[in-house]
Amino acid sequence: MTKRIEAMLDDILNKRHHKYRQHIDSAVFTQFTRELFLKGLSDTERSVKRLAFVLELEKPVVFPEEKIAFMRTVPKIPEIFTDKEWSDIKAKHFIHEQGKVCNISPNYGRTIKLGLDARREEVIQYLETAEDGEVRQFYRSVLDTIDIVLSFVDRYAQEARRVGNTEVAEILNRVPRYGAVTFNEALQSFRVLHYILWASFNYHNTIGRFDQYMFPYLKADLDSGHLNYDQAFELLEEFFLTFNRDSDLYPGIQQGDNGQSMVLGGVDSEGKDASNILTEMCLKASLEMNLIDPKINLRVNKDTGQEMFELGTRLTKQGLGFPQYSNDDIVIPGLVEKGYSLEDARNYVVAACWEFIIPGVGMDIPNIGALAYADIVDKTLRYALEESKSFDGFMDRVKDEIFSWADIETNKFGNIYMEPSPMMSLLMDGCISSGKDISHGSRYNNYGLHGTGISTAADSLAAIKRYIFEEKLLTAEELIKAIDANYVGYEDILQKLKYEAPKMGNDDDYVDDIAKELMETFAKALVGKTNERGGCYRAGTGSAMFYVWHAKDLGATPDGRRKGEFLSANYAPSLNAKTKGPVSIIRSFAKPDLIKTINGGPLTLEIHDTVFKGEDSISKVATFVKHFMDMGGHQLQINSVNRDKLLDAQKNPDMYKNLIVRVWGWSGYFVELDKEYQDHIIQRVELSI
Amino acid sequence: MSTGMIFDIIEFAVHDGPGIRKTVFFKGCPLRCNWCHNPESQSFEKEVMVIKGRRSDCGMKYEATALAEELLKGKEILEKSRGGITISGGEPLAQPAFLLELIEALKPVHIALDTSGYAPNRIFKSVTEGVDLVLFDIKHTDPVVHKRVTGVDNRLILENLEYLCSTDKEFYVRIPLIPGINDTMKNMEKIAELIKGARGLTKVDILPYHKTAGAKYPMIGKKYKPLFDIDRSPKVYLEPFKKYNIRSEVM
Repeated sequence: MTKRIEAMLDDILNKRHHKYRQHIDSAVFTQFTRELFLKGLSDTERSVKRLAFVLELEKPVVFPEEKIAFMRTVPKIPEIFTDKEWSDIKAKHFIHEQGKVCNISPNYGRTIKLGLDARREEVIQYLETAEDGEVRQFYRSVLDTIDIVLSFVDRYAQEARRVGNTEVAEILNRVPRYGAVTFNEALQSFRVLHYILWASFNYHNTIGRFDQYMFPYLKADLDSGHLNYDQAFELLEEFFLTFNRDSDLYPGIQQGDNGQSMVLGGVDSEGKDASNILTEMCLKASLEMNLIDPKINLRVNKDTGQEMFELGTRLTKQGLGFPQYSNDDIVIPGLVEKGYSLEDARNYVVAACWEFIIPGVGMDIPNIGALAYADIVDKTLRYALEESKSFDGFMDRVKDEIFSWADIETNKFGNIYMEPSPMMSLLMDGCISSGKDISHGSRYNNYGLHGTGISTAADSLAAIKRYIFEEKLLTAEELIKAIDANYVGYEDILQKLKYEAPKMGNDDDYVDDIAKELMETFAKALVGKTNERGGCYRAGTGSAMFYVWHAKDLGATPDGRRKGEFLSANYAPSLNAKTKGPVSIIRSFAKPDLIKTINGGPLTLEIHDTVFKGEDSISKVATFVKHFMDMGGHQLQINSVNRDKLLDAQKNPDMYKNLIVRVWGWSGYFVELDKEYQDHIIQRVELSI
Repeated sequence: MSTGMIFDIIEFAVHDGPGIRKTVFFKGCPLRCNWCHNPESQSFEKEVMVIKGRRSDCGMKYEATALAEELLKGKEILEKSRGGITISGGEPLAQPAFLLELIEALKPVHIALDTSGYAPNRIFKSVTEGVDLVLFDIKHTDPVVHKRVTGVDNRLILENLEYLCSTDKEFYVRIPLIPGINDTMKNMEKIAELIKGARGLTKVDILPYHKTAGAKYPMIGKKYKPLFDIDRSPKVYLEPFKKYNIRSEVM
């Protein structure tokens, strides 16, 4: 790391850049929203006005030593609807999260390459022939947005000149107005576009296949000698820093949940391995910077070499909780089966956490709902366990319940509404040619449903199979009583269920086959179901924050889990289960046909940091990762952890300001998490290997 | 068909030989090392262990072929990583018939034997001939100190070490480094003297004492009585090994 980057990193870690943040009275924002309402503007017009308002409030800050500018000083983005308007909208529409366009992957590459002037020409041509009033308004909103962005960039250029940073000033004179030529220009152009998305109240704005769309600029500079490797690497590190400047202002459930996912590696449109020198540079930069953003995702396939897995493992060792690996050989066929074209599927990226989406053409909502497997088991056993004559008979009832759940769940999302986003529309393919804002959909409009608590459900069913149907140790009635009593007065039964029953994660077909059946049923129950936009439903293996939410509503479960105890995050053994070890875990979790449940959600493993001691541990862990993929695993994320360190950090947060942990689909600073998330992580770690 | 007693199997052992390994721990040991961090490995009998208020049996009786089958489950990753099975303990050589049968049943997977070296030479010889790698623990070269801190004389151990050094069998030396007991320059020099020039020696692993070693004693109703200051970090001297060009690594 150069001295210049070191100093910039230090500023960010010590939050020195926060002093440029403006203190703006919240009344200013509510007043603005109110004015929009009073003027009776359409939602599209309001979106444009909001961007203009925010950028007018912004005060450009350029540091003399930086090469990639743009930093937020306005801490908040106002709403375009008043509270009253929002509640009216919510009465009529399904609203996903905050009602904004979010969690998708824009096609930055195209605009970086062409520049906003050329994009404006493109829009003007379409406007000239458009007749429909709404379509014309949409095009005007995009044109206005481009003008607003460019005049803001001009203000930044002036500021750069004022502080004597002529390099940045000159770059900003060229991009994003014109197509980028150099690597530095391309990075700056990206930075502007990404910044504008956040300022437009789009969130979980992912980065996509950075090593693909940025590679031509890097290559040109390296080939021409405009940059040498070290200079390019330094620029890349500075670029990585920019993701950490404003990230605490971005919306998310917890600090760190901001969706800045970068996807590296993977195959090209022809199916050939597309990793390049930039792939490797990004992994190395992330290792040196040791920051939670950008969040690194590494696409691998049967042709990925051991070196790539080892580079990834070096990052894992560092404790960042990434890279998250995804397996092209499973994900691509899975997406094709769900109706994605082969070429689009090969271009997949991950959304904010791990859901597989297609950049530029996907307006999927991959986290619209979730199946709580353990709830299904609980519900079914109450009406069907006693009358079931065999375990298979009972299992059929569980499956029926999943089908009924799917019927109800998929009817919840009617008449969806999202605020329009002219800026995001400009960056998504097809919006300009169709004259339709991205909030109305794109080529893919599929909805994804997470699946939480699979291990708790499978373990519960295995316990029922063994102790009720096979060993007849207890009756259905007794089990229900014990659960309802939260096992108080049933401690002997609890011991059996918790410690002696088979648990998923031990490479034991007895329970793994049950999990496999549950997941197959989930996938089957969604086949043929379509949403109002014509998209399909995708079954997943992730949990997002549902592992905390579902666990709160759920009583004790037949696997010996008491009420209030956590479910595991994502696709992982129950926190209740002592497993034989990571090899058994990956063998258990690779058994289901993961091609069918391809919404996303990684097998999440904790490995004690002592495993990484010794020179050859990197290659061993790398082999382990590759092995999961070879067995048909879809996605994997490993945490290197140390329980003592986490406990100490709870007691002495000041000493652990930079301790990074993985939460569900993202990494964050441990001491900045709410205690329940901290506790969950500590409990996960207790079972680490 | 012999049966034997083990107390644990650990998957994904990465510090017990090359590659990814599964390590099986034999139950029962003739030594009573004062710092032993697995006190349940000492008795040859089943014991009751109480962990967080919950009683459980410690010790599993296996037939050699059944144990081999369990150990070889999922062996693909062991092979892929050029790893294998490590047999540790307790002292595996203390259950020789069972051990020999197990080794035969595990082949051709790479097998490492982790041993204190405390066994009759006849047994040591026949077992080491059957394995691919020996992890040979050396605690102390001085017989008086050795007897005091492990409960046994080190004559058999040194004889077996001498034999091992005379063969081509690959081996690592492993030194548990205990503060105030064996962490002296002199002890390291003597160990280096004993193993210098051995054809099969790959490296010396130094395993510094860890403070949590006493944690398991109360679980089996025993008291941990260290003869040394558990809070002091052991001193690491690698120079004697460097002197003879012996690779050494602190784990």
